Amino acid sequence: MKKIILIMMLAFTYTAFAQSVDFSGYVRNYSGMLLGNENNDFVILQNTFNLNIEKKFDNSAFKVNPMIYHDYSDSLTFRLREAYMDLYFDNFDLRVGKQQIVWGKADGVFITDIVSPKNLFQFLLPDFDEIRMGVTGAKFDYYFGDNTFELVWLPVFTPTNLPSKNSLWFPKMDFMIPPTFDYSKQNITPSLKNSEVFAKYSALTSLVDFELMAGYMWDDDATMFSSLSPKPTGGMQLTLTPEHKRLSLAGGSFSTTVGPFVFRGEGAYYFGKNFNTKNPAVNNGVIEKDYIHYMLGTDFTLFDIKFSAQFIQKAIMDYEDIIKPNNLFKDESNNMMTFLARYSTLNETLDLEFFTYYDFEYDGALMRPRILYNYSDAINLQFGANIFLGTEGLFGQYNKNDMVYGKIIYNF
Amino acid sequence: MKTLKISVLFLSFLFLANVTTFAQEITALQVIEKVYNRPVGDDMTSNLKMTLINSGGNERVREIKQFSRDFGKVEKRIMFFVKPADVKNTSFMNWSYDEEGKDDDQWIYLPALKKVKRISSDSKGDYFMGSDFTYDDLGDRKPNDDTHKILREEKLNGEDCYVIESTPKDEDYMYSKTVTWIIKDKWIGLKKDFYDEDGDLLKTLTVNKYKDIKGFLIITNTEMNNIQKNHKTVMELRNVKINSGIPKSKFTERMMTRGI
Repeated sequence: MKKIILIMMLAFTYTAFAQSVDFSGYVRNYSGMLLGNENNDFVILQNTFNLNIEKKFDNSAFKVNPMIYHDYSDSLTFRLREAYMDLYFDNFDLRVGKQQIVWGKADGVFITDIVSPKNLFQFLLPDFDEIRMGVTGAKFDYYFGDNTFELVWLPVFTPTNLPSKNSLWFPKMDFMIPPTFDYSKQNITPSLKNSEVFAKYSALTSLVDFELMAGYMWDDDATMFSSLSPKPTGGMQLTLTPEHKRLSLAGGSFSTTVGPFVFRGEGAYYFGKNFNTKNPAVNNGVIEKDYIHYMLGTDFTLFDIKFSAQFIQKAIMDYEDIIKPNNLFKDESNNMMTFLARYSTLNETLDLEFFTYYDFEYDGALMRPRILYNYSDAINLQFGANIFLGTEGLFGQYNKNDMVYGKIIYNF
Repeated sequence: MKTLKISVLFLSFLFLANVTTFAQEITALQVIEKVYNRPVGDDMTSNLKMTLINSGGNERVREIKQFSRDFGKVEKRIMFFVKPADVKNTSFMNWSYDEEGKDDDQWIYLPALKKVKRISSDSKGDYFMGSDFTYDDLGDRKPNDDTHKILREEKLNGEDCYVIESTPKDEDYMYSKTVTWIIKDKWIGLKKDFYDEDGDLLKTLTVNKYKDIKGFLIITNTEMNNIQKNHKTVMELRNVKINSGIPKSKFTERMMTRGI
């Protein structure tokens, strides 16, 4: 009898809870076929369930966002993208838990948007909310008029998630000698001393929107420290020890309109970032240099087509020739651009889109044509391609990974 | 992502003045100015439902919760998208200025990107959320942007109306002319025909229902019929609240990201 009462109480509680909690999300079927090999392998046959569980009260709220990926190998990958609580006060808010934090005005590039690390399990191909990972910590926002001061404290360090070594998207690495890896220094223990802190002041005004930010953080990408030692069997052994190092940076961004144009800019200055050198035997193959990363861009509409273009530059200050080129840096300054064109028709049920990254240094590109069709209010269809041009660099390294894909998305 | 720009006072053309009848003959410009200058409440809250119906009779539904407040020199408006699911929690904010020549400021919050983006208010000829209303159709087009003449006076739906033809001074404007049936004394645009650049009838706006809320006549159901595309949009306002005292803090980036 007691069990029956308990079950009834639980059922009643669940029903009451379910009625007041907001459930939304999507179910997605995603299939991708390679064009760059003879067999035209289906490298993506994936089902995804994304659920947002949210509840808002007068002075508080919570959100939990689990996501489940099901692959053709019948494997399940579970991710808790966000799980946080909000507390609202008159002039400030507090958010505690796992959360995605997005800063800056750039689209598709990460300059001051460095609080949430990236999940590069499929390079830059997923939607950006899937690339960005949640971070565990607290965010405090103080509001005065149209100004906001934001402080973020992260006691738990979350690094960039790189693809596994057998993945299509594992980045190419060039070494004189095949290395062995020592991962003993890669982990950062959660502690007060090891915390990351970020601050941002932002304003939204009639003339211009802007943000000023600073951060004391760990480099999301590990520095590869190297050592050479003689092998007992003869020859030399190269050992790489990935280690996350502290970074300090300051930057800002702005956005304003002039007639039909939106102009955007964003920049960050890193006070000391580690770069690998050509000779792994000197200073563990690492040199520290200041580094600047910035973007200028514009959005406008012409002949009913929406355009967006961005120029992005990265520059290593006080550059030295001993710095080893890699996929991201060929030499002292590295230039890239993005371009987006989008045309909507049939009462916004059909969208034709073309997006591209172009890497000036390596003459490489990623071109992403896409067709989006709203089959109904709930069901969206997407067909597209990812075309990699070049032979080296950030995009050229994947020139065998050209792909066509289709997505069916049911939103609820 | 749908286009979510608006540069206008949403459904503002629906608010109408309680003005006494004229003893003397009125000009076309005066009629339009009476509609434009009607007294309105200081703030408004409402739920907007748009039903888009294509030539095959298939329907798509968009639902929005919206708040607006007149701060004197600037009117601020914030909209939260409720349906369809793929735009849920998207929000849009518009600051519209009285100052001559000053463009609206507009921002959109995209929940997937978790980012508030400033957008240009220049494209007033764009269609709002795939509907048959352009941003300009929904706005408070200034009387002096057109030249007006009274074509005739006639009854429509039992109401005595002025029939006004308005021709834009800007030759590049998206319509070559509009013809509006305005109810005498109530100053409601009861029906409006839109003609394309070739002079052919393009769209017809019909008011299906209006009612008195706190002394303001508010149109709560309209229908825009695109004759050439055989596509129409029915727009309904529900839960309308006037002068409820919406706080200034409602029209901020904080609220855009927090949602309703």
